[in-house]
Amino acid sequence: MSPASHIALRFTVSRKRSLALSLVGVIFGVAFFILTQAQTQGFERYFIQTIIGTSGAVIISDRFQSRYTSFSDAGARAAEDVMRSRGQGRRKYYEGITNAAEIMRVARQFSNVSACAPVVQGTVGIRSNFTSEVLSVQGVDLDAQLAATALRSQIIAGRIEDYRASRAGVMLGSLLADKLQVGVGDTVQMTGPDPKPRTFTVTAIFRTGNNIIDERRGYIEQRAAQGLLKKPGLVSVIIVKLRDPDRAPEIAAHFERLFGHRARSWQERERGNLQIFSTLRLSAGITVSLIILLAGFLIFNTLTMAVMEKIREIAILRSMGYRRLDISVIFLGQGILVATIGSVLGAAAGALFTYLVSLIPIKVTGFFYTDRFLVAWSWQHYLTAAAIAFIAVLGASFLPARRAANLAPVATLRGSGQ
Amino acid sequence: MDDTASSLACHGLEKYLGEDESRVHVLRGVSLAINPGEVHAVVGPSGCGKSSLLYILGLLDRPDAGTLWIGREEIATLSDDLLSARRNEELGFIFQFHFLLQDFTAIENVVIPMRRLGGSTDGEMRERAAGLLDAVGLSDKADRSSRALSGGEQQRVAIARALANDPAVILADEPTGNLDTANSARVFALLKDLVHRERKALLLVTHNPAIAQACDWIHTMRDGLIVDSAWHG
Repeated sequence: MSPASHIALRFTVSRKRSLALSLVGVIFGVAFFILTQAQTQGFERYFIQTIIGTSGAVIISDRFQSRYTSFSDAGARAAEDVMRSRGQGRRKYYEGITNAAEIMRVARQFSNVSACAPVVQGTVGIRSNFTSEVLSVQGVDLDAQLAATALRSQIIAGRIEDYRASRAGVMLGSLLADKLQVGVGDTVQMTGPDPKPRTFTVTAIFRTGNNIIDERRGYIEQRAAQGLLKKPGLVSVIIVKLRDPDRAPEIAAHFERLFGHRARSWQERERGNLQIFSTLRLSAGITVSLIILLAGFLIFNTLTMAVMEKIREIAILRSMGYRRLDISVIFLGQGILVATIGSVLGAAAGALFTYLVSLIPIKVTGFFYTDRFLVAWSWQHYLTAAAIAFIAVLGASFLPARRAANLAPVATLRGSGQ
Repeated sequence: MDDTASSLACHGLEKYLGEDESRVHVLRGVSLAINPGEVHAVVGPSGCGKSSLLYILGLLDRPDAGTLWIGREEIATLSDDLLSARRNEELGFIFQFHFLLQDFTAIENVVIPMRRLGGSTDGEMRERAAGLLDAVGLSDKADRSSRALSGGEQQRVAIARALANDPAVILADEPTGNLDTANSARVFALLKDLVHRERKALLLVTHNPAIAQACDWIHTMRDGLIVDSAWHG
């Protein structure tokens, strides 16, 4: 330990009462920062998990054709760039995917792609003995769908195996099933472009937690959907599951160029909602950082008082050969000690608070479904909180430390001698 | 006196204090040489420049003109950090108001300059500090908080601290000014004996005629000048 650090430690211990308040501020500031970040990111991550689990990381849909053409590749790329900069407004779209098998075969060769699922989509009428509703029907290849989405974990009634065994089974969203007042084993009738109704048996009910999906969506076998929607051989979208969903925008952009089909990443599809989460997280972070800044202000106050009280001791230390830097370190050292102890204890308290909050039962539906507080465990929260604590505390310690270092010992000694 | 052999020497020191109309010429060309084994007293009326001279000789202040040597090294051009190093290695200060670090014990106060000097283990530093406290008659109060010591005891701790790094020169500003007669005599006797025995140099500023008369040299200052230097050795 350096001589200055040794003195800093002793000064800190001797001023433990006044520094304790600052320390408590840092501890709670760091702890609450970690807690709020863990909560907001916990909900955000679960939301992302829900949307990726339901609709995939990337969705490949309609074929498009550029309205600008060029004989050269460079010219084509330039036109493409122009289109992108204009929000893809210069494209002509053709509904659906006609070569889904070929696109999936190529897509699966990408190392980041773990599964693909073709889906036929459309809107039909659905009628139970109780009422009629609009159904967003999804014609799926069950095995591919299970591999590419979290459908299996979303089933809350019935069994996937019963759906598989049934020749005309349907899996309904939980809210839609409530509206229709049907349960597993009941029958419903669907009416598409062909006015002749078709009968399906409810073999399972799923809940994604997203109300918009749960009150409109239903899954049926793909060929049945093609027949019902009169879209023989057509696939509306391909759901792509990625091993690293964070890279979805790059993969989507690459797929667009490669396949000539629209490809949207989950980040693009949910941009608005993700911005809400980011804003909430930032807002919570700023609010809680104010506690740490307040602690920094207390430290500034304490150290400024300490410099005034220790003015003769600073002069005597200088007379004994302690440098200006040593004097700075003595006072900065007290700040470093408070920031270090505050960050360590704050991180421990933050982890404890986060754990306790995760046990609180709370029912959330709308964006997603959960029956408990969601938290995210990330070392980045702890690192950021500690960084804020150090910046605030060292910033607050800097001015008193500089003042102490710049004190002219002669002025103090001369004044004391008179 | 041979300048090159002196522990501390200055020539033509000048110093101004204050600014503009309140500017005062406190040192007007002071020259002095302090040799090993000598005790020098600086006397004179208040405001004659004694303390200013002491602070410049102690490298706590810079002169506006003149030269200053510690041993053979001219120190006028040294950086602030090097001046701090010279203070730590070569000089020991004793002040009238002793200025112990209040949060530290007696022995910890004596160890403080040694920590800055470095090169010794904690145990070695404490052993040397204990020896110094023993020399000033405070071995039984080494672990007492400096707040719990009397004025005389605190001044003796300050003397032990001034000797901690075995300095060549000891500078003292009214070292007995805050003590009763008995303690005053004891402290001075201790310092004088140490200087003669270990061939250190001592310069002290004092208003006490008895103390001044007991020194080897008496320098009388008036209006920023040494007007008389008398050998009493």
